[in-house]
Amino acid sequence: MPSMIRDERIPSDELRRIDDEIRSNWSTGVDVDFEDAVAYHESLPTHKRFADVLESADKPLLQPRAGVPRLDDQVELLEYLHREGQADLLPTTIDSYTRDNEYEKAQQGLEKARETGDDTLNGFPAVNHGVDGCRELIESIDAPIEVRHGTPDARLLAAITFAGGFQSFEGGPISYNIPYTKRHGLAETIEKWQFVDRLAGAYTERGVRINREPFGPLTGTLVPPSIAIAIMLVEGKLAATQGVRSITLGYGQVGNVVQDVAALNALQKLGDEYLPDEVVVTTVFHEWMGGFPPDEARANGVIGLGGMTAAIARPDKVITKSPQEFQGVPTKEANAAGLRTTRQVIDMAIEQEIDIDGITEEQDLIERETRCLMDTIFEHGDGDVVQGTLKAFDSGALDVPFAPSDSAKGAVLPARDDDGRVRIFEWGDLAMDDDIKEIHKARLSRRADTEGRDQSFRMVADDVDAISDGKLIGRPRTQGDV
Amino acid sequence: MVLDTMSRTVVLGVIGSDAHVVGITILEQALSAAGFTVVNLGVQTSQAEFAEAAVAHDAEAVLVSSLYGHAEQDCQGFHRVLEDAGVDAVTYIGGNLAVGQDDFEHTRRQFRELGFDRVFDSETDPEEAIAALREDLRISPPESERATISS
Repeated sequence: MPSMIRDERIPSDELRRIDDEIRSNWSTGVDVDFEDAVAYHESLPTHKRFADVLESADKPLLQPRAGVPRLDDQVELLEYLHREGQADLLPTTIDSYTRDNEYEKAQQGLEKARETGDDTLNGFPAVNHGVDGCRELIESIDAPIEVRHGTPDARLLAAITFAGGFQSFEGGPISYNIPYTKRHGLAETIEKWQFVDRLAGAYTERGVRINREPFGPLTGTLVPPSIAIAIMLVEGKLAATQGVRSITLGYGQVGNVVQDVAALNALQKLGDEYLPDEVVVTTVFHEWMGGFPPDEARANGVIGLGGMTAAIARPDKVITKSPQEFQGVPTKEANAAGLRTTRQVIDMAIEQEIDIDGITEEQDLIERETRCLMDTIFEHGDGDVVQGTLKAFDSGALDVPFAPSDSAKGAVLPARDDDGRVRIFEWGDLAMDDDIKEIHKARLSRRADTEGRDQSFRMVADDVDAISDGKLIGRPRTQGDV
Repeated sequence: MVLDTMSRTVVLGVIGSDAHVVGITILEQALSAAGFTVVNLGVQTSQAEFAEAAVAHDAEAVLVSSLYGHAEQDCQGFHRVLEDAGVDAVTYIGGNLAVGQDDFEHTRRQFRELGFDRVFDSETDPEEAIAALREDLRISPPESERATISS
């Protein structure tokens, strides 16, 4: 029986009923009190109000990722990144067990961290730390902090972190389903994220503007820009329906400067067009989310290219990477270095008049593709974006490459063209005008001619490794790699 | 040597709460191209699911992937689960197996002590894993590749 869920605001009594229901999922849930939390937010100084700081900035703000299990260490880490890395906005990256609602496993990891002093979790278990733990973190840091994670069912995490003083929350029902889980259906995550957005809307109605940031990079590996942008527009609309008024749409760097700048331009333009006027739409650029070079010097090169792209496109925010990305969670020193590398390149380039050919044409193509996808969503749902999204993913008209989730077919396969721009090599059932498909086909066949080999999965696999191997395009290695 | 051409079954998956899928997608393609039958359990696979699949498909190898740093907690007691299920397969683990910037030799020893036959870092090519499998399962490489190895 397909779900009949629709893009409609949750009534406030329903909001309260769900709020009570989820609070019993872990012992710290009982401390959540909406009125007390609103008062706490109102007590925060202006420089800690996320949406205002972000929306009033006149150049891109930098934000790293960072999360460690113990509270004192997290405070020390964020202080370091703020001071030594000159981060404008701070994160709190949540651990993967909490993202999977495995609070008992997170508790084991936290206790082991307390015993051994090691970082046994890959992030901060905010639910286990509870409202007071979150408030202690908010009090200690003189900048706005965002909750960054990858949680399909983020209801308890949102209730506790909002009550704990956080005013920015990353993620959404598609961007935190398709790339992050095998266990949750799309209808289920849409319904659960309607609660998260409705709760953010409730705070917003009381003057506490919670910023929401759909996760642009999706699977972070060669995602065609139009697919990412369409999903951002859907998640933005869903959040706006529930009362969110500050939305940051995200996009992950692909490494071709023209395509990245064009995609960021299209993201802002289409965001303003598709989302209601009362929403302030901002954009965030994620530095390369795929595999990094194992060599820190080369990794700095990847980060530098990200900085240059940001200086040209001027998104509102940039999520930085570290030179140690290849091997996982970086030291605080390396994390701060990634911030400073990005800052240096942006501050050198942003005052220059850099005029590059081809951006307008690429932006037109991305916008045409995105409109095709948005049209198919509305057609599938008779104008309701929730029903449309469910049916479009079900039919394959909407799809995401390398999707671990069963909710997406994962039939679409990307590959870079001869210029290194991400195109679609295997279309599956993705809804797209034929003339656009021809453009992709022609571009990819030019590469196949250049390399003297057919288009194949091998080309896709080579592209996946290219940047960590030191190039943008996965060219065949010298001798017969055909 | 008819045995060589008979297809060998390997079970492949990402353990715990980890959702990194690109690595096993590429690995599955390479293993299939090399003649293995691959049972890909996908992301967020539990210890029990690995054991059940290994028994159900009579797998000769269980290949565990982990990139998000929680491999040690996820693998506690894993080899006893396999043993209890009667699984007699070679076990490999690969990826970023510690949370932070670790010394790989220390990590390799750690996972060898946990019971894994081979431990790979995330810089490993699929071809290396395939060569190791052929050695451990005593499969002679097919004619075409044999020439390249000896050159």
